[in-house]
Amino acid sequence: MLKVQNLEKTFRTGAGEVRAVQDVSFDAHNGEMVAIIGASGSGKSTLLSLLGLLDSPDHGSIDIDGVELGSLDSSGRTKFRSRQVGFVFQQFNLIPNLSARENIKLALEFSHWPKEDRDRRAEEMLEMVGLHGEKAERRPAKLSGGEQQRVAIARAFAAKPQLILADEPTGSLDKGTGQKIVQLLREAASTQQATVLVVTHDEKIAKQADRRLEIDDGVLKEIA
Amino acid sequence: MRSIGVVVILAVAITLSISMLIARDAVNSKINSVRASSGNTITVAPKGFFGFNGGGTPLTQSSIDALISLPHVTALQESLSEELSSSNTTLTSPTNAGALGSQFGQFGGGNASGGSNAPGKVVLPIRVIGTNSPGNALVGGANGGGTEKLTSGTTFSATSKADVAIIGASLASKNKLTVGSTFTAWKTTITVIGIYNSGSTFADADVLMPLTTVQTLNSAANQVTAATVTVDNIDNVASVDRAITSKLGKTADVTSSQTTVQTELAPLNSVKTISTYTLIGAVIGAAIILLLSMLMIVRERRREVGVLKAIGAPNRSIISQFIAESTTFTVLGAIVGLAGGVAISSPITSALVSANGGSSNTPSGFVRGVGGRFAGGGSGFTPPSGGANVATGGPLHFGGLSNTLTQIHTSAGWSTLAFALVAAIVIAALGSTVAAATIARIRPAEVLRSE
Repeated sequence: MLKVQNLEKTFRTGAGEVRAVQDVSFDAHNGEMVAIIGASGSGKSTLLSLLGLLDSPDHGSIDIDGVELGSLDSSGRTKFRSRQVGFVFQQFNLIPNLSARENIKLALEFSHWPKEDRDRRAEEMLEMVGLHGEKAERRPAKLSGGEQQRVAIARAFAAKPQLILADEPTGSLDKGTGQKIVQLLREAASTQQATVLVVTHDEKIAKQADRRLEIDDGVLKEIA
Repeated sequence: MRSIGVVVILAVAITLSISMLIARDAVNSKINSVRASSGNTITVAPKGFFGFNGGGTPLTQSSIDALISLPHVTALQESLSEELSSSNTTLTSPTNAGALGSQFGQFGGGNASGGSNAPGKVVLPIRVIGTNSPGNALVGGANGGGTEKLTSGTTFSATSKADVAIIGASLASKNKLTVGSTFTAWKTTITVIGIYNSGSTFADADVLMPLTTVQTLNSAANQVTAATVTVDNIDNVASVDRAITSKLGKTADVTSSQTTVQTELAPLNSVKTISTYTLIGAVIGAAIILLLSMLMIVRERRREVGVLKAIGAPNRSIISQFIAESTTFTVLGAIVGLAGGVAISSPITSALVSANGGSSNTPSGFVRGVGGRFAGGGSGFTPPSGGANVATGGPLHFGGLSNTLTQIHTSAGWSTLAFALVAAIVIAALGSTVAAATIARIRPAEVLRSE
């Protein structure tokens, strides 16, 4: 379970201070998919960076299944991120010189997944996202956008993380493919019992989530 | 394509450095062999002394003795050369002057025969060498310069004052002398204690006696006409040469083979310097090329690094991946560069030597002997023909040396291979450093935010 309390982050720019995240608090359960809606510059990507331990908050706490993340040092954050957090990006961000299967196995390697079990787990993930046969051996450039995002989802879920952070996962896809990807995320959240946070500005996508949150000028509120 | 380009550029830089290393080693080896062949001795003779043609004032033994206390001097051999003619000895020279001797010699008249000979008839005098180091002379060692071997009898000690002599085989034969025989010189009976043989009729016509005995019999106490100073190391010859010159001032001609060799070797030393600097420059250049290439690669793959960090890759894992990449570039460059360097080292070395004036016009085989009528004149015997041997006296050239300076053999051994390996490691390490630092500074949040 994800528990966020009084999270704050301020950036200092040439134009002065920007309060990107202001007193954000919310909970999300395992298996739940939560959509975070917001306009460009509203602070949703900053919130995602804080939740993914890519950045440190100025104030507040993040608790995942009882582990207070603020207490972790740099090495501990890297280790926690590799095992408990999965990322899905708008631009897919697969490693270009690795095949689809190798991309998944790379995440397993970083999470110190047992070596002898990596092949089986990678195959399982490829099955889950519907990539069969020789497509699994293709490099990202030889896959369609939708297929690349499927690989990215498989990579994100591979190490059985507690938290999946998806930043505009359908932003680079056509509507039909986007719908399928969101459906896939939903199913994966349920089967893998992970909390999935999807940042999007697409209302239709957001409506498929279990809950919707809206962020505006760094302030988060629940939408009924 | 970019990777191939990086490898090619590295290979060119490493080719240059390897060829420079081989050229440097080859030239260095040549320099050392030439210096080694020129010996580690310095000869001292009275200023202007030109053997029995005269010139100069004898040196005092006390001033020469003081040279032994100079730093790096390990041995000192002194000698006094005199002549015996029919007026002061019972010996007869075994040497026939021949047509050349008649043409060039000035032995007639009072010099050699006491004026009893008809004008134009050449009678060679007998050379007597008083020495305090007969052993060195007889074994053809560093001070002797010859190939004389004691074939019978014994030798005398360095401090001997006895009326004894070691004579050459041809002189002994001519005068029917054996060990134990006697002859008269300067109205004194001299006992033959040994006979030597050098294989040269001219050299075997000499008489070798204790220095003190010759000084006493000739009323030349405290006089020497030549000294040979042995230096502990070839590298110290030049400094000892300067020290002797400083100590003896204008009274002596100080000649070291090394001084002459240094002049001859100046072009090779230039090549050595050029190749050393080029070698260092090429290695640094290769490191900079790799450094900039890796920096460019890291910048291009900044997003990839950010993603790797985001999905949990530790810094050391990403850095080691880039180091492996740069090492691969360097190893490939080193392999190609090693082969290229070995292949072009010979023509490059030749070109460098030629460009630096290594080709000398000094006639081959010209050896200026010393000591006027008698080659040598030191405590050693007649210097062997050719080569870089030095007796005493004036300036000299090294027969055939200049022409061989350009004949430099290049070869690549284990040291070259080891250098290539070390250079590759250094280049890869330097080239990876900045890339590693850049990777460590990349913050995934910033990279992903810019998406």
